[in-house]
Amino acid sequence: MKSKRYVKDKLTQLLISLVSLVGLIILVAVFFYVFSNGSSLLSWNLITGDYNSNVFNGYYSTEITTNDFAAPSSLSDEEYFSTRWGISFMDDEDTEGHHIIMITYVDIDSPLANIPDKNDETATISISSGQKLMTVRFSDNTMLLPSNGAEKANQLFDTKTSIADIMVSTSGKGIRGSLITTLYLVIMTLVIALPIGVFTAIYLHEFAPKKNKFVNVLRRLIEMLTGVPSIIFGLLGAAVFIPIVSSLTGADTGNLISGSLTLAVIILPVIISSTEETLKTIPDEYRQASLALGANRNQTTFKIILKSAIPGILSAVLLSVGRIIGESAALIYAIGTSIKDEIIITERSTSLAVHIWSVMSGEVPNFELACAISIIILIVVLVLNLSVKFIVRKIAY
Amino acid sequence: MEKVFTIKKLNLKYGEKTALLDINMDIPKNEITALIGPSGCGKSTLLRTLNRMNDLIENCHVKGDIKYEGNDIFSKDFDVIDLRTNVGMVFQKPNPFPMSIFDNVAYGPRCQGVKDKKILQETVIQALKNAALYDEVRDRLKESAKELSGGQQQRLCIARAIAMRPDVILMDEPTSALDPIATAKIEDLILELKQKYTIVIVTHNMQQAARISDNTAFLLMGELIEYDKTDKIFSNPAKAKTEEYITGRFG
Amino acid sequence: MGLTVTTKKIKQRNKIVDKITQIALLMPTILAASFVLLIIIFISERGVAPFLESQYGDLSVDLIRFLLGNEWYISPNVYGVFFIIINTLYVVFLSAVIAIPISILTALFIAKMTSKTISNFFQIVIELLAAIPSIVFGVFGLGVITNVVKKIAALFQMQTAGGISTLTTIFVLAIMIMPTITLLSITAIKAVRKDLEQNSLALGATKMQTLFKITLVDAKSGIFAGIILGVGRSLGEATAVSMVAGNAGTGPNFNLFGTTRTLTSTMLLGIKETTGLDYDIRFSVGIILVVLIIVINLLLNFAKKKIGRFS
Repeated sequence: MKSKRYVKDKLTQLLISLVSLVGLIILVAVFFYVFSNGSSLLSWNLITGDYNSNVFNGYYSTEITTNDFAAPSSLSDEEYFSTRWGISFMDDEDTEGHHIIMITYVDIDSPLANIPDKNDETATISISSGQKLMTVRFSDNTMLLPSNGAEKANQLFDTKTSIADIMVSTSGKGIRGSLITTLYLVIMTLVIALPIGVFTAIYLHEFAPKKNKFVNVLRRLIEMLTGVPSIIFGLLGAAVFIPIVSSLTGADTGNLISGSLTLAVIILPVIISSTEETLKTIPDEYRQASLALGANRNQTTFKIILKSAIPGILSAVLLSVGRIIGESAALIYAIGTSIKDEIIITERSTSLAVHIWSVMSGEVPNFELACAISIIILIVVLVLNLSVKFIVRKIAY
Repeated sequence: MEKVFTIKKLNLKYGEKTALLDINMDIPKNEITALIGPSGCGKSTLLRTLNRMNDLIENCHVKGDIKYEGNDIFSKDFDVIDLRTNVGMVFQKPNPFPMSIFDNVAYGPRCQGVKDKKILQETVIQALKNAALYDEVRDRLKESAKELSGGQQQRLCIARAIAMRPDVILMDEPTSALDPIATAKIEDLILELKQKYTIVIVTHNMQQAARISDNTAFLLMGELIEYDKTDKIFSNPAKAKTEEYITGRFG
Repeated sequence: MGLTVTTKKIKQRNKIVDKITQIALLMPTILAASFVLLIIIFISERGVAPFLESQYGDLSVDLIRFLLGNEWYISPNVYGVFFIIINTLYVVFLSAVIAIPISILTALFIAKMTSKTISNFFQIVIELLAAIPSIVFGVFGLGVITNVVKKIAALFQMQTAGGISTLTTIFVLAIMIMPTITLLSITAIKAVRKDLEQNSLALGATKMQTLFKITLVDAKSGIFAGIILGVGRSLGEATAVSMVAGNAGTGPNFNLFGTTRTLTSTMLLGIKETTGLDYDIRFSVGIILVVLIIVINLLLNFAKKKIGRFS
């Protein structure tokens, strides 16, 4: 009898311990997947680069016959250096798996560093490392295509004397625009939501008459915001904020301001409840002591209470930043999904999260790019959450 | 005189702090033994050692021996759950489980695998009768136990303990959270239960110990100062400390 | 004498300043409270438009066919939302069925069954899981869970559309609501009175019997609150779901390996223009979503009161 009961008890314990590993396994799997797919793409170029690739089209008609450029010492075995033009090439593949020729080095004195623009007689373009070679037509009409490979390209460049037409493009797929948009959204949203949220919390906790029906209705309405899914906030942005911003600024689509207003409504309940929770922890003795010293309620609230509430407000801010960075559904409606490089606050662009949505919902989802952005989002959000935990612990002890 | 528990050289430490020091005492069958002493003297700890509830506290080290009906309760072969089914316990604050009155009393038997409805029914009713609660709750056995008054809740907890048909009932200040009328009812009940059960009761209330117990043990700072018949302790204590305590000079 | 006069003046001024502050603080409060009303008013306005002939003339949608229709195609403007509601309820229900037991057992483990260090570690794991944005779960779902589901389908000799299926959606939702339910359950389990558990042990119950018969029973109200929150979250979850749901045009579909369509995925999929019938009809779906959330919340709260009657 004893052993049977004992065994049953131990088996149940074992089962529960195993089940509780599920959460850990999922967390590890998410991290493993995102890092293993995205880390190879994650680079400074990705973070600072443009998303859209720009194509430059130029020519160089002066005859060159000398071969006196010297290869830089940093040249690797895979790079081919043309001593005539002072430029080096390397074979590569783009994110879609096509063969490309990358330009890895251009000498500062190279004629290609400054050539006339084919589309605009008065302008010049500069060919530089990091661009990819699209097509070259030399003066004798020999064509060079990416499929020819870097070795062949080098061979042609070393023998031909002038270029009738050269097309290069910048690599693109960078996320600088979305990163800047995200920063704009974080700052603008906090600027809007923080005062409203903190003042509301102060009113509800310090000033509002107790057991007043009107105040209770206000409180219930604010609490209801917590249960609204973010896509519905997106509809609010589309139906209310976009028209308002349009009429004020002349913007004709979703824009960063309407997006920030929408995000502000989303984070409002977090800020209000977090601030109010801290206000609750401030002992009444503080208020009484301040009042006993002859301070009035205003002075008490703004000089004593608000100061003590700062850690709570700070943790609300950190949580809100995490929420803003992670938000996608609402912004798809309140701003739009077109990825931009030049950020203007009255126009469309994507936050990092919506950037992921955009590259994933196309015909061919770009998993590498999505994972690389996810790494950035995950790290930021996790650091924010752990710091909140730290702050809360500091308050408690 | 038959003994239920024989305690020999019992020492107990919480981490570094000694809670019980060299306790030797026997607890006689079908009598009421009261443990008295100031707060922190170790009386509740001693009580909880008797059904090994102290096992649940981390850092609790026990040395010495306690024999229950001749068996060493600390030995490896001894089943702690058997011990707890034979030694029931009633806690300070009434704590009915969040279920109906009936299910509360049936809880222990069900945990032991009793499924037969008829047996459960009989056990529950008998236990409620023995706990002098049946007449008050016979029509609402299916209702929540939380709706009973404090005194009724405590009698329900006693009924719950009795339903296991234990030999011993340990009571840890069972009336300290109750009003005087409810307390009187519980005390009457305890005196009645003495016919069938051995009772060990921790109490803060000297009059209560004097009123209901047969034997009284006085503990101080983890030591057993004096243990004797209650009449003797209260009329003619052997130790000066005991006299000082029962006459209310400290504690 | 002079001093008293000044204090009186200051007192009066203080009173006025106090009143002004109070009003100045009431304004943002009213503003914060007004957003719920703005949502109701303006989404209703846009969402009703597709059914009005005055707005869309011949194109306007028949309300009955919208509510009871089982087909949804954007190009010939066929909008029937009934099967989408059923599919939504189906995936939400099954994701809850998976997530609830895992969450409760995990909460028991963290709150009651392990050392402080391990418990803290697992608590952080669950909190981090709760903090991961839904878009990341969408990427994970499309990159990993689709493959898992493909393998499961192969076991049953079934085909999936590249792993995009009802089951994938259910798994993604279950993962996303698991942390919510777990965290609230931990709080509820930790709040159970210690002496209740000790009394159960004193009655000869084993530790597991105590956990399941006493601790969980006493904590059920709090656990249920977690479930309500989790179900709410899975009903409203949009981006991750739309990435793995597929784009079923007809239904309802109960086949776990077939594609599905939820209210939220309908609102997000194929969004291009920001005007016109195809855009406004998404607001109508939004109204359905809000109503559904309110109804389910009321039902669950009613159920919570029923099961909570002993605590």
